[in-house]
Amino acid sequence: MRRERRPHLLRGLALTLAGLLVVAVVSACSSAVGEANGGGSASGPSEGGVLRVGAGSDLIPASVFTNSSDVANTLVGTVYESLVDYPTDSLEPQPRLATSWQQSDDGLSLTLQLRDDVTFHSGRDLTSEDVEFSIRTWADPAWTVQLQRTAAAITGFDTSDPHAITLTFAHPLSNVFDLLDMLPIIDSESIDQLREGTAYVGTGPFVFESWTPSSKVVLTRNEDYWGEQPLLDGVEIDVVTDPQAQASQLRSGQLDVALGLTDRDRESFEKDDAYSVTEFKGAENAIYLGADLANPDLREVKLRQAIAYALDRQRIVDEVFRGAGTPANLPWPESSPAYDARANQTYAYDAAKAEELVSQLGDQPTLPLAYPAGNGNFEAVAQVVQANLEAVGIETKLEPQEYSQFIKQLIGGTFGGLWILEHSYAQYTPSTLTVSAYPFNADKNASHFSSPAYQKHADGAWQRDSGTDRGAVRIYRQLNQDLLDNLFLIEIAVTPPRVATTAKVHDIGLSKRNELDLGRAYLAD
Amino acid sequence: MTRYLLRRLPSALVVLAVASFGIFALVRLVPGDPVSTLAGPDASPEARAAIRADLGLDQPLLGQYLTWLGQLARLDLGTSYRIGGQVKDLVADGAVNTIVLTVTALLLAVVVALVSSVLAVVLDNRWVNAALSFGNTLAIALPTFVTGLVLILLFAVVLPVLPAGGTPPDGFIARPDIAAQYLLLPAVCLALGAGAALTRFLTEALRTELRQPYVTTARALGISRRRIVLTQALRNALPSTVTVLGIQFGTLLGGAVLVEAIFTWPGLGGLIEEAISGRDYPLVQVLLLLSVAVFVAVQLLTDIVHAWLDPRVRIGGAS
Repeated sequence: MRRERRPHLLRGLALTLAGLLVVAVVSACSSAVGEANGGGSASGPSEGGVLRVGAGSDLIPASVFTNSSDVANTLVGTVYESLVDYPTDSLEPQPRLATSWQQSDDGLSLTLQLRDDVTFHSGRDLTSEDVEFSIRTWADPAWTVQLQRTAAAITGFDTSDPHAITLTFAHPLSNVFDLLDMLPIIDSESIDQLREGTAYVGTGPFVFESWTPSSKVVLTRNEDYWGEQPLLDGVEIDVVTDPQAQASQLRSGQLDVALGLTDRDRESFEKDDAYSVTEFKGAENAIYLGADLANPDLREVKLRQAIAYALDRQRIVDEVFRGAGTPANLPWPESSPAYDARANQTYAYDAAKAEELVSQLGDQPTLPLAYPAGNGNFEAVAQVVQANLEAVGIETKLEPQEYSQFIKQLIGGTFGGLWILEHSYAQYTPSTLTVSAYPFNADKNASHFSSPAYQKHADGAWQRDSGTDRGAVRIYRQLNQDLLDNLFLIEIAVTPPRVATTAKVHDIGLSKRNELDLGRAYLAD
Repeated sequence: MTRYLLRRLPSALVVLAVASFGIFALVRLVPGDPVSTLAGPDASPEARAAIRADLGLDQPLLGQYLTWLGQLARLDLGTSYRIGGQVKDLVADGAVNTIVLTVTALLLAVVVALVSSVLAVVLDNRWVNAALSFGNTLAIALPTFVTGLVLILLFAVVLPVLPAGGTPPDGFIARPDIAAQYLLLPAVCLALGAGAALTRFLTEALRTELRQPYVTTARALGISRRRIVLTQALRNALPSTVTVLGIQFGTLLGGAVLVEAIFTWPGLGGLIEEAISGRDYPLVQVLLLLSVAVFVAVQLLTDIVHAWLDPRVRIGGAS
């Protein structure tokens, strides 16, 4: 009897199924989840392990120093070092690559002594010429960094001593230590690779190994670090743009740290003992409502005052930021020398007063209210703001805009109405905000606001030798009054950064620059 | 077959040429500006002007288009504005991952469709048909971002047996066993819709075949329904299914963009999302043109396979 041939198709099918079965069996032998969750078995500070950090936005080499992405912030904070470090709760510079400094009496020069035991990851010794190169790079407009104007105001460099540098200023700079805290000391020999994103050579506790765009950055421990050796073997910064994917990966043990969670997810992790949510003071952001004074209706200050009174800031903090934040009328966090608790209450929520102001003005046309689309927080804040304003008789039309288009409008000053965005840098010397941050810039801003008094106070705060003495605080009071009287930016809330980790992550920090500090971080159960 | 292929090539080239112009115009019509996104809000006008000149965006549009075409002709895909690297390297890296994901999903979809369709027509059981119909409807109706999150919740969080996303720490080659586990959830997520669509089509095609006179004759000769399906009906039902498979491949490529975002799979999806949001013109243009080229190639391939499976197609075409 002839044995029937099985059809080719059926054989192919059977082979495919068998292949899948083999993969499944082999997979079952070694678990990806088990391997991902490995490490960190000790109970105290211990060496070893790779910390996996989930970052919401990838690196852009041309903008690596603009503090604008989670990957760049973590990379810069771990690979590079600055001359001084600010503590998170004050503006008293502490030694880092500079050991001491001396400012001239006229405030026009500053001499810094440098450590003599520091080498770049390439093995080359750090010298004063590297400091000059770094400041000159920072002053180059092409890098579009914060404090470019301050770096450009440094006009002289004396590098005759390889371990000391004297900087000469065009005028006294109250925020020069802000620059020295933010400025990473970079290696001149690898600047071209830095521009291309192929090499980041610093002096910090971790060494850059690789960057796979849209995927990950890999760092390893700097075995020749001049300071205390880091405990971690390395750091892997994974680009996980979707907040829900970050939450899932943190829950499944694939990530140890999640930087880009929504506030609701952070709240749920906070209630779970297997995770930890840390709130960091000293690197606050502030969310604000901008007003474009090119719109004739918004030129009326009474309308802006009505808007300021109508905002239920506490509701926004409670509902949108899940309680993590403080309602604010001014941009400064409590640690700032410009902070004034009383002035910060000037426009406390008062719907009746807002309604009265609106009634004095008569019928108001509908105002456009723009915000960056795709960000849950901005969207939720916009909805609360719309409801608050509607309650006092001001109609708004929500205009979600794609981020690139939003920034173009911000730069061009073409909103024509209200907009919602957040800003940083208020934790530094106040002149850093009023001179460098675009929304506050006295020279040119998206609100089309100009005032000789505001310009004078902003320049006065900047062009002085101290940013924290009594004279400076007096100017800050005047600046506060300018901001409150003119309301071209209506502050909503100051929000501290919060980082969620698994319980096995210990001793991570966050610098005033909003960069993860992993120098003493370790993994332990 | 060669003549058949040569006849189809010119139209494919015309499609690519028209697409290149459409893509170039389209990315520039999108509001937003690469310089603004690169420079950020605090940059000075001088800095923005310098960046604009550096990127060649101060040139007339026609000049920019011709420059791009010239680069393409020299197989120079340009440099990414944002990422900084050569576009060809970025695309090559991402394409490998996307192809691995898409082809795995396609294989899964084909296997699921073959098994389900054959089972449905061989068993011809009311309950089996109802179950398959329910599963198909669910797989087609549920959007990828829902099925993706449900799969992650089930298999990575509640039952932590598979990774929630990402790529193997040691790469794909060093540990294939680990890599397979990282690949499984995104591939299943991507395959669900395509598998269901193929199942529906193939089942119907098989049922149509089973109503043909040759099947009645075969049944009268005592040949079992199972054997008729596996030896005759399936082969005859395949040509039309291959056409649907070609279309599904395009759908899978599109769906990969979303699946890659959900499972943080480092393929072309993440790259295209970043390129579009950052107005990275060189990268967007190449990725979109590549998508068109792949789609055209797959359609061409589908026609060839169709012609190979069904000689009437190429003979008809020749006459």
